[in-house]
Parts: sequence; structure tokens; C-alpha cells
Amino acid sequence: MAANVFPFRDARAAPDPVLEAGPVAHGPLPVPLVLDNGSFQVRAGWACPGQDPGPEPRLQFRAVCARGRGGARGASGPQVGNALGSLEPLRWMLRSPFDRNVPVNLELQELLLDYSFQHLGVSSQGCVDHPIVLTEAVCNPLYSRQMMSELLFECYGIPKVAYGIDSLFSFYHNKPKNSMCSGLIISSGYQCTHVLPILEGRLDAKNCKRINLGGSQAAGYLQRLLQLKYPGHLAAITLSRMEEILHEHSYIAEDYVEELHKWRCPDYYENNVHKMQLPFSSKLLGSTLTSEEKQERRQQQLRRLQELNARRREEKLQLDQERLDRLLYVQELLEDGQMDQFHKALIELNMDSPEELQSYIQKLSIAVEQAKQKILQAEVNLEVDVVDSKPETPDLEQLEPSLEDVESMNDFDPLFSEETPGVEKPVTTVQLFVGTERIRAPEIIFQPSLIGEEQAGIAETLQYILDRYPKDIQEMLVQNVFLTGGNTMYPGMKARMEKELLEMRPFRSSFQVQLASNPVLDAWYGARDWALNHLDDNEVWITRKEYEEKGGEYLKEHCASNIYVPIRLPKQASRSSDAQASSKGSAAGGGGAGEQA
Amino acid sequence: MEAMSENKMVPSEFSTGPVEKAAKPLPFKDPNFVHSGHGGAVAGKKNRTWKNLKQILASERALPWQLNDPNYFSIDAPPSFKPAKKYSDVSGLLANYTDPQSKLRFSTIEEFSYIRRLPSDVVTGYLALRKATSIVP
Repeated sequence: MAANVFPFRDARAAPDPVLEAGPVAHGPLPVPLVLDNGSFQVRAGWACPGQDPGPEPRLQFRAVCARGRGGARGASGPQVGNALGSLEPLRWMLRSPFDRNVPVNLELQELLLDYSFQHLGVSSQGCVDHPIVLTEAVCNPLYSRQMMSELLFECYGIPKVAYGIDSLFSFYHNKPKNSMCSGLIISSGYQCTHVLPILEGRLDAKNCKRINLGGSQAAGYLQRLLQLKYPGHLAAITLSRMEEILHEHSYIAEDYVEELHKWRCPDYYENNVHKMQLPFSSKLLGSTLTSEEKQERRQQQLRRLQELNARRREEKLQLDQERLDRLLYVQELLEDGQMDQFHKALIELNMDSPEELQSYIQKLSIAVEQAKQKILQAEVNLEVDVVDSKPETPDLEQLEPSLEDVESMNDFDPLFSEETPGVEKPVTTVQLFVGTERIRAPEIIFQPSLIGEEQAGIAETLQYILDRYPKDIQEMLVQNVFLTGGNTMYPGMKARMEKELLEMRPFRSSFQVQLASNPVLDAWYGARDWALNHLDDNEVWITRKEYEEKGGEYLKEHCASNIYVPIRLPKQASRSSDAQASSKGSAAGGGGAGEQA
Repeated sequence: MEAMSENKMVPSEFSTGPVEKAAKPLPFKDPNFVHSGHGGAVAGKKNRTWKNLKQILASERALPWQLNDPNYFSIDAPPSFKPAKKYSDVSGLLANYTDPQSKLRFSTIEEFSYIRRLPSDVVTGYLALRKATSIVP
């Protein structure tokens, strides 16, 4: 009876075709491109005017790129997103332009944009001739916006751009009728979770808060938990499989402590544990020994080596001693005056003169003395080793000169090699039992202390923000709590938020929690609707001229944007350090082209 | 994905249209574009270091912000005021007990015997997961 046994799907992404832009892109006015630039996924598509309610964004791909391994694949340059297929073999070579939720590596961002434009079928020559709606982080650092604007305007030559916040776009998509509404947005993404209060349709930016935990931290936590529980299968517990478990087998407990009590009972456990079946693998698990056993083994080998050396030294000493005795006897012959025997002995020994005999005797006696000293020292070390079991490196250092004495260690290598061929490990298909991990991993956004983070969880942050407002505004905000973002898609999230609100609000007050209709894609849909509504509105787009006059960090505020703080950043010096690049944009106002450290 | 031409600083002449080469450049880009902000002035072609988020935030702090301006680091959530609940490292249930030898938390007797039989790297792994690896005893 295989109840609750699930295999891993291990899905591979199919590479995206290069799409034809089609008639949509060639309207009378240039059609805007909408890019939801997220640290998990980039979603890109056209904002087609007309009554089209909602085809999905044409492109959705992971925001990663990697240079393929090996000469042949590496030569074709870095691959992006879905062209990579399965992410696991390349896990250590994946590079993302994002650091937390802010793009910092604009070269990789350029690759992602190239991929998007190319696969959407942008065909204009010399520039991308479409306005772009791009999402950015809440309170995006000015430097990052400056870099991004520079990339868009100078590399791609776009006519105008608008920056917005993804969760706000999602909010407006779900509430089309009253655009002047207030509410609290809780947006939980891949890298961080934001709580954003909205007053009268505008973001109240100074009261926003961000918790630096999201889907990727949950996946990492789950991976470590399972790896520690099953230390023999480190390689099979991959991040992609963890994401699969999170997406399909995890849920958020409405009352965490109570749920844990339920899991204590063995029947409940049996009925609810999910046994993930690892694919059958017939190769022996790399090293079945723990690190302590490995240490033991190494010490045994060292001891064997030492004993061997000691034995050899003793044998050599004995031989030398005998030879020395013989030579001394011959020398006595000389002193006694028995010349004939002496000369015969000399010839036997292959020596010419008594002086040579003398020097040889001297050398030998010194060697014998040294050998005796070494033996004594080795004995002392052996005793020390017996007492002190830890350090291996001092032993190795002492062994090194003695290893040079021993002629060929190769004879002894087979003795000391790992005994893996001998040990038969039963190769069975392994199941990973995912029990309480199902609720532990998603719980970190409510209790960051689970992974040692000092920040407060969502509920406490929510309370902190509400306390900064007067009571009537609190009432208004709480009527409209909105959950969005991929990391809120766990079953039970809404019930949990309602319970937390019930705990923190005054007795018998009301509140309303709403989940986005499609938490993952709503940001893109909202941005598209916004773009279509504001096509002609010049108050919201940043044009190329404004970029050149006011710098890359300039932002025009609109209903879904960050707050703009007018601080001028000095323009970055380009690498070639000649005036050409920096004079491209006439750096008016503020200092001239200064160098930023 | 087709190979892109080397559009980083090539001083030779380039037209902005497609150029017939072995590697086909993408037509909608400017091939002469150079990212500014690559490392310092000393950085040559090999030394393209981008600032990471910590460095960006450090330089952002130095800008003339007013007290009420929202910026990336003022938005960080405050630390928690409530005492953290203790959960067992092994099973996740509420932990009432801590093993004095390894500092792991456990909730039942079976867990205790399991913990005592764990190799040391697994023990440090559990502690590191909670960020409890401190050399102060």
C-alpha cells in the first residue's frame, strides 16, 4: 500500500521559440513592452491594445544564465532561462543579475533583456522602438535605477520607460473600479516580503517594511533540513526538487502550535507524511563513511606507516652496525700489524688505503648514531600519539622526511586504499519522508527565528506598521488586506492571515483579506493594463530627453511607482575614462562627471 | 541562442546596423555600448566587478537623505520584540529540552537518543541552520 508516495517530476524547461511579433507589435503607435523583472522569473510580453483580456505573457523564464560547460557548448556564449533546460547540472554556474531583489549585475541583465527582446520578435533596427514598462524593487536604490536607465536608453535606445512596483500593479489589477482606494499589500516574493500601506491610491513609502525572507530562503531551509535528515543523499536533494516540494506538498498551518501537536500523533503522521520517491540509482553512494570514521581510518593508516618506518630503520641500523663492526675488526688488524690479512681484507672491501677505511668507519658510525637517535624519537612520538588522538597534520609533517627514506611506498598503497570494493551497500530506492517539514519551511516568513533571523515575522511587522497610524486609518487599511506574490500561494495562507489579524485587532472589529486572483502573473497583467491606460499620458513616462537632462536615477511618480527623492547621483565614469562616454548624456546640474568610489 | 558579437569596447569602427561576421550581433542593440560603473578607473577589460548590494547600500547611505525619506535600508523590518518559541531541531515539534552536550533542542526521548547518536557534522549543520554556532560555550 503506497499511500502518499510521490515521485519527483524533475521537470525540464522547454526552450522558448523565437516568436514572431505578429500584427500586435506593428500598430500605428509603437506598442509598449511589459517586463516584470523578478528575481525568480522574468515575464515579458506585448501590451496589445484592443479588447484582449488576457493572454499570458509570451515569455516566462527563470532569471538566470549560465555558460555551458565544455568547449563546444561554452563557445556559443551564455545561455539564458529556458534555454538551459534543467537547472540542476549547472547549479554552481548559474548567475543571476539580482542580489536580493535588486539587479546589480547589469551585464547579466543585458543578457536577459536580449533574450526577451529577441524571443518576442523585436525587429527594429538600431534600437528597440517600443516604450517599456519595467518593474523595480520597492525603494529601489538610486544607483541601481541609474544603471538600469543607462542600459535601456543607451544600449537599446528605447523612447521612453516607466518604472513601477510589481505588487502595486497586481493590486490595481485586482481592484479596477475604485482607483482611489487604500489598503495593505502583503507581497511575498522569491527573495523578500514587503508590507506596503496604500493611502488614497498612493504608496505611503516611509511606512513600508521589508522582511528579507522569501521563497528562496524557504527552499534553502527545506533543503538543509532534508540533507541533515538523510546525510547519504546530499546530491539527490536538489534545490529544484525542494521547490517542487514547496509548490506542491507544503501548506501553511492556521495555528502552528496546534498543527505541530497533531503531527505528534503517529496515526496523523502516517496519514499525512509525504514520501518523496527518489529516482532509482544504481551507483554506490560516494562515501558511506562519516567524517569521524574517515578520521579514524586516516589515523590507522598513519600508525601503520609509522610502524613500518620504525621497522625499516631498525633493520638498517642492524646492517650498518654489522658492517661497522667488520670494518673496526679490519682496522684492528692494521693496528695489530697483520699487514697481509689487512690488505686482503681491504681488497675484499674494495678499498685502497687505510685512510679511506678510516673515513668510511667515521661516516658509518655517525650514521649509526643518527639512526639510534631517530628510533628513540619515533618511540617517544608513538607514545605521544597514543595519548593525543586529534591532530593529523603534525604526524604527516614528521612522516615526510621518513617517507623519503622508504624507497617505494607503492607496494603498500593497496593496503591503505578505501575498502569500498569490499563493502556491499544494499542499493534500494530511497524515500524521503517529508512530515513536519511541510509546515516548517513556509513558516519562516511568520517566524524568522526558525532560521535564526532577527527580523520580525509578517504578523508582527503588520502590527508595527498599523501602530504608526491613527485608529481610523488603521480601520480603513485593515478592510483591504491584499496578498500577492508567488510565495503566498501556499494552501492555508489566507486563513492564517485572517487568524493573525483577528489576534491583533481590537475585539469585534472587522477586517477583510483578499488573495490575488493569480498571485504570480497578476503583476504582469496589472502592468499591461496600466500601460494601455496610460499610453498617451506624458506625465508618467520618462523620455530619453529627460534621462539625459536629469540623469538615470530620475523617476516620474505615478499610481504604481516608488516615491522619487530628488537626489542627484554623480554620473559614473566609464571604463575607458575618456570624455567620449561621459559626454554622451550632457551632464547638467550637480557636479560634472565625477568618479564614484 | 545565437552568439552575440563582442560589443564591449572595441575601438574599431562599427556601424549600428548588422555586420557580417561569424557571430551575428543582435540588430536592436548599439554595439558600441559600454556599461559605465565597471569597477574603478583602473579596471581594465578583465576586471569588470559590479558592486554588490551591500556596497551599493553603503554608498547610498552617504547621500543627503532627509529624515523621512524612504530608501532601501530604512525599509528593513525591525527586529522582533516577542521571545522566540523553541522548536526541536530534529522534528520541528515544540521543544522543552536542550541537550547540554550538543545544544540541540528536542522534544521526546526518542529524539534524544537520536541526537546522541548523530555524527558531529550533522550536529553542526543543525546548529548552523538556527545560526546558533557560537564558540562561546
